[in-house]
Amino acid sequence: MKNKHQNNGHFGLYGGRYVPEMLIPALEELEKAYTVAKKDDSFQKEFTDLLNNFAGRPTPLVFAENLTKRLGGAKIYLKNEGANLTGAHKITHCIGQALVAKKIGKKRLIAETGAGQHGVATATVAAKLGFSCTVYMGEVDIQRQRQNVFLMEQLGATVVPVAFGSKTLKDAVNAAIKDWIENVKDTHYVLGSVVGPHPFPTMNRDFQSIVGREVKVQMKKREGKLPDYIIACVGGGSNAMGIFYEFIKSSTVTLIGVEAGGKGEKVGEHALRFKGGSVGIVEGYKSYFLQNKDGQLQKTYSISAGLDYPGIGPELANLHDLNRVEFVSSKDREALEAVRLLARTEGIIPALESAHAVAHAVKLAPKLSKHKIIVVNLSGRGDKDLFILAKAFNDKKFMKFLKEYTQ
Amino acid sequence: MNSIDQKLSEIKKNKKLGIMTHVVVGYPTLEKTVQIVKTMAECGADFVELQIPFSDPLADGPTIMKACEKSLNNGTKVRDCFKIAKDLSSQVSISLLFMAYYNTVFKYGIKQFIKDSKAAGISGLIVPDMSIDEEGNEKFYAYSKTFNLYNIQVISPASTEQRLRKNAKIAKGFVYCTARQGITGVKEELNPELSSYLKKVRSHFSIPLAVGFGISKKEHVKALKKHADIAVIGSAIINIINFSKPSEISKNVVQFMKNLDSK
Repeated sequence: MKNKHQNNGHFGLYGGRYVPEMLIPALEELEKAYTVAKKDDSFQKEFTDLLNNFAGRPTPLVFAENLTKRLGGAKIYLKNEGANLTGAHKITHCIGQALVAKKIGKKRLIAETGAGQHGVATATVAAKLGFSCTVYMGEVDIQRQRQNVFLMEQLGATVVPVAFGSKTLKDAVNAAIKDWIENVKDTHYVLGSVVGPHPFPTMNRDFQSIVGREVKVQMKKREGKLPDYIIACVGGGSNAMGIFYEFIKSSTVTLIGVEAGGKGEKVGEHALRFKGGSVGIVEGYKSYFLQNKDGQLQKTYSISAGLDYPGIGPELANLHDLNRVEFVSSKDREALEAVRLLARTEGIIPALESAHAVAHAVKLAPKLSKHKIIVVNLSGRGDKDLFILAKAFNDKKFMKFLKEYTQ
Repeated sequence: MNSIDQKLSEIKKNKKLGIMTHVVVGYPTLEKTVQIVKTMAECGADFVELQIPFSDPLADGPTIMKACEKSLNNGTKVRDCFKIAKDLSSQVSISLLFMAYYNTVFKYGIKQFIKDSKAAGISGLIVPDMSIDEEGNEKFYAYSKTFNLYNIQVISPASTEQRLRKNAKIAKGFVYCTARQGITGVKEELNPELSSYLKKVRSHFSIPLAVGFGISKKEHVKALKKHADIAVIGSAIINIINFSKPSEISKNVVQFMKNLDSK
């Protein structure tokens, strides 16, 4: 299977660089710097060194033996990206982008964040590499991820609440782009997914592709072959493209993206871009978006802030059209059950985002023979979801603790 | 002949600074939009940008963004914008332009949007996030040409010589220069490097220069007279609308526009 037509940031019909003229010079500068860095041995060395000796790569590929036995079908492996510093895969593209930003003399990093993971990762890298840092976060997301705001602030970042639009991830992206337009001279925008104008989707995919490369090596060592299925949750798509990319040309590997089914089928109850959306051009790129007839973006919903986004990476849109990546969905309820199940069987509490992928593996594994292998990308760990989980599980002791703690 | 050319030659003949004002269609209401545009025409505006409200207006500051949000909450649809354009074009003699984000055009159908704009009496399109580099896939400029609609290019102080050349090749009518690197919104002072920037732009473009972003008072307009052909006033008028009682919007817009006159 081919993933052709990739030029100037186009993936088939999708991608591109649809931005006001005033952002073009910055994107051209970034693209040029990245193209040079990509081929520069010293850049690659510095990147790898920070990944290995700061972020904690390679992350383990865990055989989920108990879960496999319990489900009685295919063997399940977990690529535990939650073992990264800051608890998710996000730090990888933050390190990569910060190093490129350094090369072009930027002093300040800005970022958007949904769940807060990308914001914490950006703030962490900014602290480590000596940048000042501003993170935009929707008010709705701040309400559900307050602890990440606290962490970002401890890391020296300024967190700016975004009070317009739906007050979630897409609005944080808009706010960050506006900041970038105003401060482009000294500021680099660390866009946190494989979305946005070229070169972001390509650059972030390249940085994240280390996940798939590690899986390939680890799998060969453990099983002597490639996996049959790879499952990843998809918000913008950075963890999915990261683990998929290495396997796109391996036609025996089925790639499955899991979108957020939320709590229902109606507009505003889910984030199913393929089923509920249509092609559009927003935030600088062409892809599938949840939008109405007039092209106004629609409200999305998911229990996981990281999947609560109306657009999807352009390369994934193309892989969808080429039938190379299959898209399914898990509901809030299924993701919550998956958190519980994985915690008890494997001793790993996954992020709610990643739990959507686990939930699909739980549905798929029993239908497959014991010779088949599934790899699930655990894009992050679940510590950040403590409050949401305690509430969803209706943990009275925790609620009592919260009440008393603040008195 | 495109009505933009007509206006431009009038401006040149009278040796005056042209004025382009701006409204967000449906803000505060559709009826008020019509009334405000008529008032602008009576007060000497040469061009009016009718902004089609969009949920994610990338290049707009808080003032216009909130106006878009309000208009959409009021239920404004794209077809309302065409209807208003049609009503207005039969009642006023100024040039009407659509300002839109590209998704609005794309979702409507690029060719259809341009065709219907023309039929509604629109003379030009300002679509800031339609990039020249994407024309190969979009044919936006090609269709604009077919239907004799002017695509107004927007450039900024950050635009490189290469980008200015590229834009100059495709620009029609006049070129919209943002006075500063930034998003829309009122500012106290003009960019101190404005004159050298506009000089640089002049060396690449043979068409007139419009300057917008942050233009809100008499002093700004006066300062622009030396360097530009058209002053664009956007957020400042929305601010007037925001602070006015519904019944006093027209009166206050008249007052504001009279005050701008630097003659």
